[in-house]
Amino acid sequence: MAYRYTLELLAGIAIVAFCAMFLYTSATMSGAEFAGSDNVGSGLIAELSGRPVDNFQPLISQWEPPSGEIESCLFALQAAVGGMLVGGVFGFWAGQARGRRAE
Amino acid sequence: MYLCDAIMHIMEGFLPWQWCLIWWIIALPCLMFGIYQLKKVLDADREALPLLGVTGGFIFILSSLKLPSVTGSCSHPTGTGLSTISFGPWITAVICAIVLLFQSLFLAHGGLSVLGANIVSMGIVGPLVGYGVYRLLRDTSVNIYVTVFLVTALADMFTYVTTSLELALAYPAETGGIASSFILFMGIFAVTQVPLAIVEGIVLALVFKYIVALKPDILIRLKVFSEEKINAARSEC
Repeated sequence: MAYRYTLELLAGIAIVAFCAMFLYTSATMSGAEFAGSDNVGSGLIAELSGRPVDNFQPLISQWEPPSGEIESCLFALQAAVGGMLVGGVFGFWAGQARGRRAE
Repeated sequence: MYLCDAIMHIMEGFLPWQWCLIWWIIALPCLMFGIYQLKKVLDADREALPLLGVTGGFIFILSSLKLPSVTGSCSHPTGTGLSTISFGPWITAVICAIVLLFQSLFLAHGGLSVLGANIVSMGIVGPLVGYGVYRLLRDTSVNIYVTVFLVTALADMFTYVTTSLELALAYPAETGGIASSFILFMGIFAVTQVPLAIVEGIVLALVFKYIVALKPDILIRLKVFSEEKINAARSEC
């Protein structure tokens, strides 16, 4: 019983440490580095292939969200679908467990 | 953001068509086997469906989070660990394919031609590595939450190792070839991903604790862990 909330504590510490690390990184890294890092992945591909980044065209044309706001909205929608599934099932299981205890 | 996209999912147009084809050829049989297994599991026990919902739900949630990391860039967790432990790597591949398809169709995140490569990294190799660790630790005295942590963190890390390999194979460096290019890609991806993988491992271990507390019988029926181990874990809850 002494270790009952160990995992909750660990998760809390991990999340706080993660946030602190992010704040430290964003405070100490200059804006220029942040801007540069955006392109590191595709920049490296461009460097290795000897082709400029703009040269990479989709093989199959795809729909792109018309703005960053709509992209965020769709990402949030994806998280919401997951959240509904998780919350719904945990609620269902909690109800079942309560029913079993009541019997 | 190019880096986010290029790291987690290879972006549309960033792999030559020959490589797209090869990864699709590898991914398709795995997906078909996953669908077959999924049908078998659900036919045998309909009670597995809510657990499938929870494990799939976490893949949906976690892979939608673009999190900043120490390198000043951002990346996603994958969330595949829970599903790998509960249902194995092949069913996980099917869930990942659904998430990746959603992201390529509606978010221009990844793409249809590179979907095969992205399924191989996030849905097949990552979960396979995690599953290997799980099988290795399942019948030992290692605590089940430590097992869930390791499976989740390693499945996450190896997703990125595979992405690096896929890119290195397509773009070998002029000097040093594939190996040198692989190290370069790993240099960008691994550092970014390590803290995310650790946090993801701890969070999913916590989620597993709640599954153990609320629905231990399904974990026992699916033989995820032995009854003794589940009961021992429950007594700690």
